[in-house]
Amino acid sequence: MKRVLIAGIGNVLLGDDGVGPYVVRMLESLYDFGDNVVVADIGTPALDLTHQIVGLHSLILVDSVASDDPAGTLVLFRKEDILRETPAQRLDPHSLALSECLMTADMLGASPQNVLLVGIAGKCYEPGHPLSAAVLGSVELAISAILLELRRLGYTFQKKLSLDEPSIWWNDHHNSSPIETQGQQ
Amino acid sequence: MAKRITIDPITRIEGHLRIDVEVDNNAVSNAWASCTMWRGIEKILRGRDPRDAWLFTQRFCGVCTTVHAMASVRSVEDALKLEIPLNAQYIRNLILIAHALHDHIVHFYQLSALDWVDVLQIPKADPAAASKLAETLSPWGRNSRNELKAAQDRVNAVASSGQLGIFANGYWGHPAMRLSPEVNLLAFSHYIQALEYQRKALQVVGILGSKTPHIQNLTVGGVANAIDLDSPSALGMSQLAMIGTLLEQVVQFVQQVYFVDVCAVAAMYPEWFKIGSGVRNYLAVPDLPLDSQGSAYDLPGGYIRNGDLAGVKGFKTASDPIFRQSVTEDVMHAYYQGDKALHPWAGETEPAFTGWDGEQKYSWVKAPRFNGEPMQVGPLAQVLIGYAQGHPLTRKYTDLAIEKIAAIGGVRATPAALHSTLGRHAARAIRACMLAELAQKHLQLLTENISKGDYTVHNQPVMPTHEVEGVGTHEAPRGTLSHWIVIKDEKIKNYQAVVPSTWNASPRDRSGAHGPYEASLLHTPLARPEEPLEVLRTVHSFDPCMACACHAFDPSGRKIGVAKIL
Repeated sequence: MKRVLIAGIGNVLLGDDGVGPYVVRMLESLYDFGDNVVVADIGTPALDLTHQIVGLHSLILVDSVASDDPAGTLVLFRKEDILRETPAQRLDPHSLALSECLMTADMLGASPQNVLLVGIAGKCYEPGHPLSAAVLGSVELAISAILLELRRLGYTFQKKLSLDEPSIWWNDHHNSSPIETQGQQ
Repeated sequence: MAKRITIDPITRIEGHLRIDVEVDNNAVSNAWASCTMWRGIEKILRGRDPRDAWLFTQRFCGVCTTVHAMASVRSVEDALKLEIPLNAQYIRNLILIAHALHDHIVHFYQLSALDWVDVLQIPKADPAAASKLAETLSPWGRNSRNELKAAQDRVNAVASSGQLGIFANGYWGHPAMRLSPEVNLLAFSHYIQALEYQRKALQVVGILGSKTPHIQNLTVGGVANAIDLDSPSALGMSQLAMIGTLLEQVVQFVQQVYFVDVCAVAAMYPEWFKIGSGVRNYLAVPDLPLDSQGSAYDLPGGYIRNGDLAGVKGFKTASDPIFRQSVTEDVMHAYYQGDKALHPWAGETEPAFTGWDGEQKYSWVKAPRFNGEPMQVGPLAQVLIGYAQGHPLTRKYTDLAIEKIAAIGGVRATPAALHSTLGRHAARAIRACMLAELAQKHLQLLTENISKGDYTVHNQPVMPTHEVEGVGTHEAPRGTLSHWIVIKDEKIKNYQAVVPSTWNASPRDRSGAHGPYEASLLHTPLARPEEPLEVLRTVHSFDPCMACACHAFDPSGRKIGVAKIL
């Protein structure tokens, strides 16, 4: 069975960095997929991403990107764009390692053939902030991009008849207001 | 004139470790460790229900997910004086052990082995000779000529493509690299195999926690696992058997491969038993509770001052009164308002960024202190504290490591040699062997307890209306982790996490005392200051994990880490 993983990446506690998990949780609440499609909020997995992608046929990632484009802009990357990045000399070994994980999977001969990174330009990465309006406004577009890619690859999906409540548990600011910060670089 | 080298592999958004060293006559004469990003995530927790805190803390860091979840529920349980059913203790212990085994394997092979192993020497190796050599070291069944040849072919494929890809940033051919092509090949073959076994350890976490990387089964007062001996979907005989099979394979890899490789590297770089010592105060908390009250543990804790093993003091419990009273965080040299040293329950996290200034404030990391002193935490601290207290399991594997290193290299290390860069690697491998043995023990304890008909997994928490304080600790893969909580009116009033890398990456404090990273780098000889491999070796030996929580993919390629000479 040719499997595809749709993975939301990012830290849900840090403002727009949480857009990846947000998008995949919305996607899950809106659509039904076949057994060969896995949708997951995988947080910030660093090198463990390798274990998630080894043996996949296709991979669709959703993540915030550092970009000079206005917040909310969708920026798409393919495998060769990502592989162009040279892995950094790691002092702190735990930052996101997208290119490293793909290269490791390549070395094992088990790398996904199709990779699409749906990047969303972020604006505010401060703890406790909800998604900024521009980023929230691009969620629908990001979902369309994912669905287009699935269709291109021949995977099927169906709009749910009764919509599930999306489980965006971290966005529940019932008891605490967004944090105002100062001095952030 | 000393020159300063900055190692700063930083992206725009990622908060990372930065190391500055002054080099004089090819040796480090001064050092600063700093973190480049403000976190302060704890503030998000104020006002929330304490029972939900673990869901949030699990997202502090993408690598250390389970450890922050565990410390969080323990902090609430400590505040409420809540006992934990035996099944829940064993299930939690198994998750913690499996996570730690995964983490230690990743650390050695994927994150630090290539500081010692020169990948570009591998094409010169003779796989048959390497296989023969391996036979003398270990009974491991996957050191055949064919297996090693396949690993060599993988390196050849990468090297012949003209681009080094994943190996693009190593210090290959550096004069401080000294292994033979065959040993390099052997280690690299295990680097590839390590990927398989770390995944098996993660599967154990996934079965018990119902998901990875974010486990779902925790709850204040126990766990949420359904126990049913006959159901394949609940925790019953079939899942326990599956966990047993996975653990057995991981245990073999740890004891026959990881442990042996660390001993071999140690035997071949013995001078690194004399480099990288630094702060010789050590701190560890007891972990892997064996009863519901938390009065007996499989891993001992305590503290050592000035490297005096004979003067070791033990902690009786995971929230020992001495520990509770003795921790402060000093912000004299950290980018926070004021210059106070506060207890975590009274902790403040008010940022005040002033820019890097080695004389003043230079890091986002606070300086945790124990009775006012910097402490080194991590596997080395735990092994020394256990060894000094005569803990049988610690002694068993420490003595085994000393024997093995002597057998390979003819150099007889003493426990005192463990105060070093290599000591940290050796201690991590020793701890992994201990945990491997304990994994099987705790699986058996769980199975026996369930077989007796005890299916209890949870005690209901009762929230007091008055103000209470608690500390939840965990001896995590990188060392002592503590979450400090103040609860008032059933809500979180204050929350502070003092994480292992805060202890180790701490900046100077009010007395000017260096943190452990900083102190460990002093006097390190550098063969080529423009390629500070030796600095990396020591920093990596701590297994740093800074603000792994925050990242964004940076497509512009600005992230490449370089050593700048200023």
